[in-house]
Amino acid sequence: MTISRRSFIKIAAGSALATGTLPLLGQEQGVASRGVKPQARPASSGRPFNAHFVDIAKAAGLHEPTIYGGVDSKKYILEANGCGCAFIDYDNDGWIDIFLLCGTRLDGAPPKATNRLYKNNRDGTFTDVTEKAGLHATGWANGVCIGDYNNDGFEDIFCTYFGQNCLYRNNGDGTFTDVSKAAGLLTSETRWGAGCSFVDYNRDGHLDLFVSNYIHFELDKAPVPGETSTCNWKGIPVNCGPRGLPPGHHLLYRNNGDGTFTDVTKQAGIAAATESYGMTVVAADFDEDGWPDIFVACDSTPSLLFMNNHDGTFREEGVIRGVALSDDGMEQAGMGVGIGDYNLDGHLDLFKTHFMGDTCGIYRNDGKGNFDDMTRAAKIGVETRFVSWGAGMVDLDNDGYPDLFVVTGSVYPEVERKLPDYPYKTPRILFRNLGNGAFEELDSAASGVAQPHSGRGCAFGDFDNDGDMDILIINMNEPPSLLRNDLSGSQNWIKIKLEGVKSNRSAIGARVLVRYGNKVQAQAMVSQSSYYSANDSRLHFGLGSIKTLDVDVYWPSGLHEEHKNIPANQLITLREGAGIVKNQRWDQAHAGNA
Amino acid sequence: MKIKAALSSVGRLRRLAPFSNDFGIFRSSLSASGLNGDEVRSTRVSPSVQASRDQTGDLNLLALPQCCDWRDASNRFPNEARRALPTHVTMNPSAHDCSSYKATILLSERYPAAGVEVEQVMRPQTSFRLACSSLAAVLLFCGLALAQPTDTNPVQAITSALRAGEFDRALQIIEPELRQNPKNAQLWALDGIALSGKGQKKPALMAFKRALAVSADYLPALEGAAQIEYDTGDRETASLLQHVLRLSPGDATAHAMLAVLDYKRGDCPGAISHFERSAGQLESNSDALREYGLCLGQVKNYDAAITVFQKLATMPGDDPHDVLRLASIQLAADKPADAIQSLQPILEAKPDTATLALAAEAYESQKDTPRAVELLHQAIVEDPQNVDLYVQFADIALVHQSFQVGIDMVDAGLKLQPQAAALYLARGVLYVQLADYDHAETDFEKADKLNPHLGASGVARGMLEEQKDDLDKALALVRAKLKQQPNDPQLLYVLADTIVQKNPDANSPEFDEAVAAVRKAVRLQPNLVNARDTLAKLYLQEGKIEPAIEESRASLHYDAADQVALYHLIVGLRKTGNTSALPELSKRLAELRLKATREEQEHNRYKLVEQSQQADTQKR
Repeated sequence: MTISRRSFIKIAAGSALATGTLPLLGQEQGVASRGVKPQARPASSGRPFNAHFVDIAKAAGLHEPTIYGGVDSKKYILEANGCGCAFIDYDNDGWIDIFLLCGTRLDGAPPKATNRLYKNNRDGTFTDVTEKAGLHATGWANGVCIGDYNNDGFEDIFCTYFGQNCLYRNNGDGTFTDVSKAAGLLTSETRWGAGCSFVDYNRDGHLDLFVSNYIHFELDKAPVPGETSTCNWKGIPVNCGPRGLPPGHHLLYRNNGDGTFTDVTKQAGIAAATESYGMTVVAADFDEDGWPDIFVACDSTPSLLFMNNHDGTFREEGVIRGVALSDDGMEQAGMGVGIGDYNLDGHLDLFKTHFMGDTCGIYRNDGKGNFDDMTRAAKIGVETRFVSWGAGMVDLDNDGYPDLFVVTGSVYPEVERKLPDYPYKTPRILFRNLGNGAFEELDSAASGVAQPHSGRGCAFGDFDNDGDMDILIINMNEPPSLLRNDLSGSQNWIKIKLEGVKSNRSAIGARVLVRYGNKVQAQAMVSQSSYYSANDSRLHFGLGSIKTLDVDVYWPSGLHEEHKNIPANQLITLREGAGIVKNQRWDQAHAGNA
Repeated sequence: MKIKAALSSVGRLRRLAPFSNDFGIFRSSLSASGLNGDEVRSTRVSPSVQASRDQTGDLNLLALPQCCDWRDASNRFPNEARRALPTHVTMNPSAHDCSSYKATILLSERYPAAGVEVEQVMRPQTSFRLACSSLAAVLLFCGLALAQPTDTNPVQAITSALRAGEFDRALQIIEPELRQNPKNAQLWALDGIALSGKGQKKPALMAFKRALAVSADYLPALEGAAQIEYDTGDRETASLLQHVLRLSPGDATAHAMLAVLDYKRGDCPGAISHFERSAGQLESNSDALREYGLCLGQVKNYDAAITVFQKLATMPGDDPHDVLRLASIQLAADKPADAIQSLQPILEAKPDTATLALAAEAYESQKDTPRAVELLHQAIVEDPQNVDLYVQFADIALVHQSFQVGIDMVDAGLKLQPQAAALYLARGVLYVQLADYDHAETDFEKADKLNPHLGASGVARGMLEEQKDDLDKALALVRAKLKQQPNDPQLLYVLADTIVQKNPDANSPEFDEAVAAVRKAVRLQPNLVNARDTLAKLYLQEGKIEPAIEESRASLHYDAADQVALYHLIVGLRKTGNTSALPELSKRLAELRLKATREEQEHNRYKLVEQSQQADTQKR
């Protein structure tokens, strides 16, 4: 039922029947969920899926748990939402490294609670270089976005916190410096920073910064489990919210080009948007006008789509463009976002994760920034059991069709003690793209993703440079998962590294079209996606049996470049205005693993 | 059990719908207070009104107006005669010169002494119908005045006899005339009048119909026939009255009668249109004015309805329940403070349970939950057998997430009213909130058993199974219930909704079944916006954009705050490329959402606790 349960009782008296009101049986709760039932599962396609995942985190040296609030119960929502992670090649050695955010606990941080940077040892293992890199930090970290904000050729890191967000400048020598204060990003008030994204909204070649804020939260004033209707779930007292709590305000900082930022939230029109519980931020050119737009997945409130007006301002059009609400106009718990081109029409589609009792949503872009909710047609609606977080629209089996991967995990660890049907730790979900606009949910055990965790952020990248996409996942109060993709078969692929010149060095905001066979697939260079996380910045395209391809690049500066007849199964580096240039260290790196 | 509201947050209780097809709120209020019976009042009738008793025992008043101007008549005939007469003579004050005719006013009233004291039984929803009878009689005479026969002698004799109330003598004159002129419509009409005067309605109607057979557009016969059929509740009445209006479009009486007919069948937009063309009758006829006001309320023209009931509430000697109606409409208009102000004099005197319950609702709407609970508690103490009061309490408990307190109160009600299906249903709903599905199911089954016609129990059971993810069982339950009640719009809606939950492909048999169910539901209950929303959703799924837009607009007509309909409208308009209105609609949706969010937050400000468990109110 999609309607208020209020006044149902009056049906008993016969009064409400005549008014057309019919109530919902069931509980109000802190998080939006439509309470929809799963779509009937179609018969299995029977087609093989060649990707298989093995969690090698432990063997790879990723031992330390991601501390985040209480283990068996969570008093506040602050403890529940968790954080993101990033694949980042911080030392430009051609091997992506791992950056993991971390939280703390209400009664104080355990000794090992810190964000962590792991250097890729190029042998399937990683070394914790957090201290050496100067990235030790304790607090309620949430989101991470990656971008070279000072165009020095080294990727920088921005982290959002409940408290003070942090901008870490990459010094290019394996260390980072917290430049938040120098950059003008310190705030006097306590904010709940959530999603973030570097984005060159004014196309001046310098990466600006968008930050979503979740809720306005004060620990000493926050309601406790059971206190209000938004603090109960299926009759069990749980942490409250976000409903019932005041939403945060989203922020846009303009990069002044000198290492500092200016808050332009108000003049850019961001402040005028509907208040929403902002989460993951994805910036890309959705209407293909050459200017980056900003999508904010929002929890239990309408998601936001800020369309770029080309003059330093935005207009929010999420509802009008069909990505704010469900197909029946209901709020959903938007948390994670995948971006890609699932139907191979050359336009950037969106995939959004939601709460349990709801489907994830997939939104088809018509190329003009108008979206149709295709969840039902795409058969995504077969799965409603889990709270879904990190997600990606990624070709995991290199068959040329982007698949969907979703990390799940409940926010209420205390519930399963009373209701075993609602476990805290749940498996990951894998939808393979059938190539006809529909997806097929794969057996998680067969794919190697069945191990239950309470997962949150995840990042996609090829950490072992073997030509397929691996997955890094944050697990609440557990060590992370590093799912190595042991792909079989002989499918082809291409990786594209962009290097902006007039555009920002990271080429964030670029749109890339790869044409292979009779297919065309769009991807975007983004600074954040999934859930509060950042992917490998090398765009990865599976090509199926196709061995040559063409590439179109729409640079953030407005330059459009085409590259023809490129052989598959390699990384190419495209420098803006210069074409294909020599890869930095990749050739040696990849040669050792080919 | 004593209940207190603990301060922490204020909840806003959605008001009982004051306007249903039968205006149930008032009925239930009256019923609760035991005041829905006849109200007896004494009225002094002007000596200038001659009263006699006809064969049916009804009181016949022969008033003697010098013209059909109701203003003049009202000056001449005060009190009840004034109430009746101007209503009936005002229909065509400019079209007819009735100065030479007397008006016969038929009032169905009991009386102790004709012409002096009339003990009048007021039935608020029927007296206008009776009043209209006399109006039609006047109309009839006025109509005859304009249709003088060529040979006036026999007609004059007949009309003289009729004026004198000598109906048998009139018939004696008519009979031979009719034998000679069987094709004379006028004589047949006079025959009908005489028979009608004798109370022989059936032969009278036959006579009028004979007149109409001769001359289909003969207005006096049409009016006479309409009058009788109106009195007997015949289905033909409306078409006869429409016929009258085709011949005489400004006929206020016909409009008045059609207004009442529309009102009775729940067509308030139609009733309002006719009421407003019934000229000054509303000014003087409190019953008509009341029905007009109720209809204004039903179409959500609250300001106009409030004005009407404010007038009614101040009319001397009129229905005291108009104050309750006024308060109820003020509540519907989201003006709880005004409602409380209206009720205050009664509350300060000796309020009945209906007033207490309504005041409780007003206070709850005004976010004063402690006062609401206090008044409701007082009502329950005064009338512990009243099931509605427990239901109202359960609703407040539901809104304030005080499920166990609500259950305990309903338990108390069930001890006194163990056969009250509504209480089982209410308790079942509260159990669902606690995820106690077993108890909920037991209660829903009990409610269903006690009252198989309580459609809501079928709805609840179906929804419960939905809640438990057993859609097939839900469907089976709803389908079984629909076999018993195939025209229950709520059940039809739940059937469709349950099917939609199964996500059938467009144009599959189940999809088509859902479409058919909601289409039938909205046909049966046009204001069932949830069904319309579901229908719009299904249309969108099918790619039928224009019908989806149409349904969404219809939903918004009934409920301007329907966010689902608004969103469907936005989606539909975007798909048609008609995007100019989208920014405004989007803004409106955002405002509605914000308002709903604020209201939800308000709900959480209070929580009900049992005083036995907690001595004082608690601040959250």
